[in-house]
Amino acid sequence: MAEQVTFAIAAIGALGFGIGVVFFRDAFRAAVSLIGTLLSVALLFIVLMAPFVAALQVIVYAGAIVVMFLFVIAYLGDRPIVAGTDRMDAVQPVAWIALAGVAAFGAITVLASTIGPEYTASDTDVGSPASIGNAFLNQHIIAFEVTSLIMLIAAVGAVILAKRAVMLEGGR
Amino acid sequence: MTVPISAYLMLSVALLVLGMLGVIRRRNPLLLLLSIELMLNAGNVALIGFSRQWDDPAGQVFALVVMVVAAAEVVIGLGLTVAVFRSRMNLDVDEMSSMKG
Repeated sequence: MAEQVTFAIAAIGALGFGIGVVFFRDAFRAAVSLIGTLLSVALLFIVLMAPFVAALQVIVYAGAIVVMFLFVIAYLGDRPIVAGTDRMDAVQPVAWIALAGVAAFGAITVLASTIGPEYTASDTDVGSPASIGNAFLNQHIIAFEVTSLIMLIAAVGAVILAKRAVMLEGGR
Repeated sequence: MTVPISAYLMLSVALLVLGMLGVIRRRNPLLLLLSIELMLNAGNVALIGFSRQWDDPAGQVFALVVMVVAAAEVVIGLGLTVAVFRSRMNLDVDEMSSMKG
């Protein structure tokens, strides 16, 4: 019973704040709304016995990533929204059809397919740091190494982008 | 009583569609990236749900990799946005149509 109540709260929170992310005009409010979605999803992870991933979700996502968003939003500031000519107007109906198609396809697939065994309510240590570390280093070592490579590429790329932007403005 | 796994999958579909809606609607590149974060989180919900269903930590490993990809994507996306939009024009991806510096 407690699990269902927690799931309901987290699901409503995730969807509600998600609607905020999509529909708030103000970029700052949309970013703060994303924090709500991320925390709700972290709550779902705890319900699903994944406390380690939930902790990383809060620290990495709601902490670092959203702060980076807020920093850039504050840096670029509010620019006036100009109702210019939208060159993509002609293809917009295709986008809406694709969206409706994905929604219908996802819903039908989930409802119509046999998903396999339901999980049991038993205690499991599948989400403990020890078991995740074990899986990472014993079965998914390539993913682990690729992860570090991606981080390195992203860091180098960000530095180069920032340097070029400064050089274009005449700095060093 | 536990929550059926299909409930998590439906929530995942809903979040993904919400993110797609954002990508279609938004023209501000920053908000576009926010919507992509929403979609990546939808994927993570499904992955963690499957990990719980099969009692296998592989799903959580995937979710962590998705998180790393999201972090890298945000770093590069925000770097590009700042590089392109810091000096000129409105925050509108439709205006970013030329590849000239």
